Amino acid sequence: MGRYILRRLLSVIPTLIGVTLVIFLFQRLIPGDPAVAMLGERATEENIARIREQFGLDRPSFLDRDALAEGDLAGFFDSQYSRYFGRLMRFDLGESIHRRIPVAETLKERFPATLELSLLSMSIALLIGIPAGIASASKRNTALDGVTMVGSLIGVSMPIFWLGIMEIMLFSVFLKWLPTGGRLPTGVEIQSITNLLLLDSLLTGNFAGFVAALKHIILPAVALATIPAAIITRMTRSSMLDVLQEDYIRTATAKGLSLKVVLFRHALKNAFLPVITIIGLQAGSLLAGAVLTETIFSWPGIGKWVYDSILGRDYPIVQGVTLLIAIIFLFVNLVVDLSYAILDPRISLE
Amino acid sequence: MDGLIKLENLRTRFHTEDGVVNAVNGVSYEMAQGEVLGVVGESGCGKSVHALSIMRLIQIPPGEIYDGKIWFDGRDLLTLDEKEIRQVRGRDIAMVFQDPMSSLNPVYTVGFQIVEALTLHTDLNRKAAKEKAAELLSLVGIPEPKKRLDNYPHQFSGGMRQRAMIAMALSCEPKLLIADEPTTALDVTIQAQIVDLVIRLKEELGMAVMWITHDLGIVAEMAHKINVMYAGYIIERGSAQDIFKRTKHPYTMGLLGSLPKIDEAPGTKLFSIPGLPPDLVRLPKGCPFFARCAYRKEQCKTEMPPLEEAEHESHIVACWRWREIQAGEIQ
Amino acid sequence: MEETKFEINGLEDFAVREHRSLWIDAWRRLVANRTAMVGLIVVVLFLLSATFAHFFWDYEPKIDLDYGAKLLPPQLIATEEVDIHLFGTDKLGRDIFRRTIHGGWNSLRVGLVAVSISLLVGGILGLLAGFFESIHMNFWESFILMTLLGFALGMLPAWIARQFFQAILFALLGAGSVVFDRYLNGKKKHRLYIFPALGAMLAALPGLMVGPMVALVCGVVGLLIGLLLSKPVGGELFSNIVMRIMDIILSFPSYLLAIAIVAFLGPGLEKGMIAIGVVGIPVYARLARSAVMSVTQKEYVLASHAVGESHSRMLFRHVLPNILSPIIVQATMGLANAILSAAALGFLGLGAIPPEPEWGAMLGDSYKYLSSGAWWAVLFPGLAIMLSVLGFNLLGDGLRDALDPKIRL
Repeated sequence: MGRYILRRLLSVIPTLIGVTLVIFLFQRLIPGDPAVAMLGERATEENIARIREQFGLDRPSFLDRDALAEGDLAGFFDSQYSRYFGRLMRFDLGESIHRRIPVAETLKERFPATLELSLLSMSIALLIGIPAGIASASKRNTALDGVTMVGSLIGVSMPIFWLGIMEIMLFSVFLKWLPTGGRLPTGVEIQSITNLLLLDSLLTGNFAGFVAALKHIILPAVALATIPAAIITRMTRSSMLDVLQEDYIRTATAKGLSLKVVLFRHALKNAFLPVITIIGLQAGSLLAGAVLTETIFSWPGIGKWVYDSILGRDYPIVQGVTLLIAIIFLFVNLVVDLSYAILDPRISLE
Repeated sequence: MDGLIKLENLRTRFHTEDGVVNAVNGVSYEMAQGEVLGVVGESGCGKSVHALSIMRLIQIPPGEIYDGKIWFDGRDLLTLDEKEIRQVRGRDIAMVFQDPMSSLNPVYTVGFQIVEALTLHTDLNRKAAKEKAAELLSLVGIPEPKKRLDNYPHQFSGGMRQRAMIAMALSCEPKLLIADEPTTALDVTIQAQIVDLVIRLKEELGMAVMWITHDLGIVAEMAHKINVMYAGYIIERGSAQDIFKRTKHPYTMGLLGSLPKIDEAPGTKLFSIPGLPPDLVRLPKGCPFFARCAYRKEQCKTEMPPLEEAEHESHIVACWRWREIQAGEIQ
Repeated sequence: MEETKFEINGLEDFAVREHRSLWIDAWRRLVANRTAMVGLIVVVLFLLSATFAHFFWDYEPKIDLDYGAKLLPPQLIATEEVDIHLFGTDKLGRDIFRRTIHGGWNSLRVGLVAVSISLLVGGILGLLAGFFESIHMNFWESFILMTLLGFALGMLPAWIARQFFQAILFALLGAGSVVFDRYLNGKKKHRLYIFPALGAMLAALPGLMVGPMVALVCGVVGLLIGLLLSKPVGGELFSNIVMRIMDIILSFPSYLLAIAIVAFLGPGLEKGMIAIGVVGIPVYARLARSAVMSVTQKEYVLASHAVGESHSRMLFRHVLPNILSPIIVQATMGLANAILSAAALGFLGLGAIPPEPEWGAMLGDSYKYLSSGAWWAVLFPGLAIMLSVLGFNLLGDGLRDALDPKIRL
């Protein structure tokens, strides 16, 4: 078991290096002179020089063969990528082009908002998806199953940005029940502990703050939860159906166990394994979906930030956020794999 | 010997998109306490489905037990509600399945799965149940039973898993053990061990055993009675002597003929029944064996022969022409 | 429960019945599936309306402008002042119905191009990876692979020393390794010394002509390449490398990667297609690989191997037809996904460039003046996205049920 964990941990390293390489290569995709692209045509010489320096644009991308030809071994390895990688090793994600603030600093500031939104969405998705999937599988080919299946297929096909817009249209513009966006109304203060507003307001006993925060988060959370909820429903259902066909389910029934025990004790634990994988994958699409949802609801998280940065061609921010999300995604999938080893006795022996 | 279970005209069918599959078509027989019954036939002849129907393990839908009665302990199992049939399953009637590799739940220990059956049907607490489970494992011949309880199924070999399955089935001392091709998936040497084990346990515990198989050789030595099934019908039934020595039905003859014989000259071609069993969606009106039968006549095509006594009371056969065949009037 | 299924499946093997081809069988099952037929109808409507609009209904987005008719709600009857506007008009007075129908063509294009890219690249990579992972390469396949590998690796010292011929030398070294393995098999131990030494020499000696430091670095690189080439690598290495690259792409949430790529490439429908296509490659590569690996374990492929059928014949006669159904299902659902992703890009302003009619971009345009209550400007383009995506998903779901006989009951 220990060796399995270690091996899985080590296997992340090459992938991680590959990820930094892909993100580094992004800047090679910029058509024309990157410095000009970032700053616009009317950039000052001084600013262009600064950008060239920050990105090391005067260096070759990977290796400097000219330096080597002159016998300079250190210069051979001094490249844009090696500098980029070196900075990453020091947790330096560069700085914003326009505001000249370190990316890592703003990231730390804005990430909790996205985390809060994603966690709530995932909870909603799990609370809907897993019971719906189990119910649908155990009542296969009934009306309930049909409704769940069609509903989940609509969920999978839902453009969440459109759903968000329709939510705002209905609940904010026409009914005026909920705010159109933002995280808190002006004038409401919540003492920050974890920076997750729902949690902080509860911890400090700030009930009015909790309600205000909930009113703001509920629409984006529902929009963001739609697709994961639908996918988890479908996966739970099909996994349960697979397991219910297994011989050991018949054995359990033949023992005289009730349907409830067969379903929840014998089927669910087996059926849950593939569902966990899907949950891990959905964590990634939640973070990616945050770009759309946060944009629509003006949610002050990293998704909205990326959107603004793309419009402003502030590439270091786009790179930094993409890297963070990729790392989180890798980490979540690592946890998923390790939980497999705990849940499935067949793995731990290897 | 007193009656244990009595089937009357049991009929089971499945609704599929290709039509209605008539899997069991009016099966009636009686089993005495402590009796060993062999049920033989080709794949798809309804032998497993009829056993699953007894346990009410047919999935409904697509399955449906649409006619008949199964008398057990003075009650018709088919009229019991869900709660009552659960009391019967595992406690009165237990079942061992074909594939030991997939019949145990991979995420629970073998011990847990045996204890689960014990605590369900007896008053034992978990600790006592665990001790009983260890006893059961040693009864079925698994060494170091205490240690083995904490193993997961994948740590057992195929033969050991089948032993564990038998231990689980026997845990509540059922009156009837249904063994549905329990040795088919095992190596030949292991097969013999499992057969011996069940015979020994039957002697010790005094239960009745229904042994379902396509291997006539296995039931020859152990069964008091043998049912030969074809296309969802019982087409011949009798003692092992009746079936092997005084065979009446052409299909049974065919089955016996396709067994290799030790005293045959090397190079003799094995006999095989020509053709295929009928499509259960479109059963012929007459005898289901008609298309493959060497002795068929016009009547066989249009009328299903009834089961009738042959020679003595307990040997019955469903064939229009068994008398003529017996007398050697036709070839 | 399993048993009942087994019995019936067993029956089908024996039952006397008319012979039907797999595809006709699947088609019949599809037709019998009500939700799949709904999907098929939606898909056909979408295809027809998009194609007809593109070829037979003129629309010039650049000159479509009518401030007099801006933000009109849906108008079903023509009056003296206004024309019929089935879906209303947007802030520039453009007819939303017309733009929605024309937008279908763009979505269709994106879907088809993106899926073709993913399918071709991913499918071929996965097919080869799976095939050579499960079947031993023969001499000539190994020869070609090693020559290419040698050439590719040799490009590194060749680039460093600006001497292109080095790459060819390493290609020969790779080929030599296969020949050595075949004909001088007895001297297995020696090749661990011979090939690295040869590699170091091949790189370092020409490198000397440029400079001592270049010779040193090239020599080290050559030594490592020689070590790699010393033993012919099997298909497993190829498969490993391919799948590792796929893993890296997969470690980005898929459409975040598409967004990032387009963010750097700059907006545009064509760039969006490419980004969505690239992001989808690993899905098909993995699918094709696992499908191939499960097929090659089947008896009929083992049998064709045993009777000495050629690898290409095996691939095309046995493997390819048998992995088609999962690929067809995935491609149908992939179309849905591509349309959705393209709309998301358009919504963020990264897809089609205005005034080109594209559903996502139309939404992105209109949602900014949501507070004016012009619900029709956002309702209809969004509905168009959802319905077309749902159509493909329903069809894909039905296809899976129809093509996968495992869940026939």
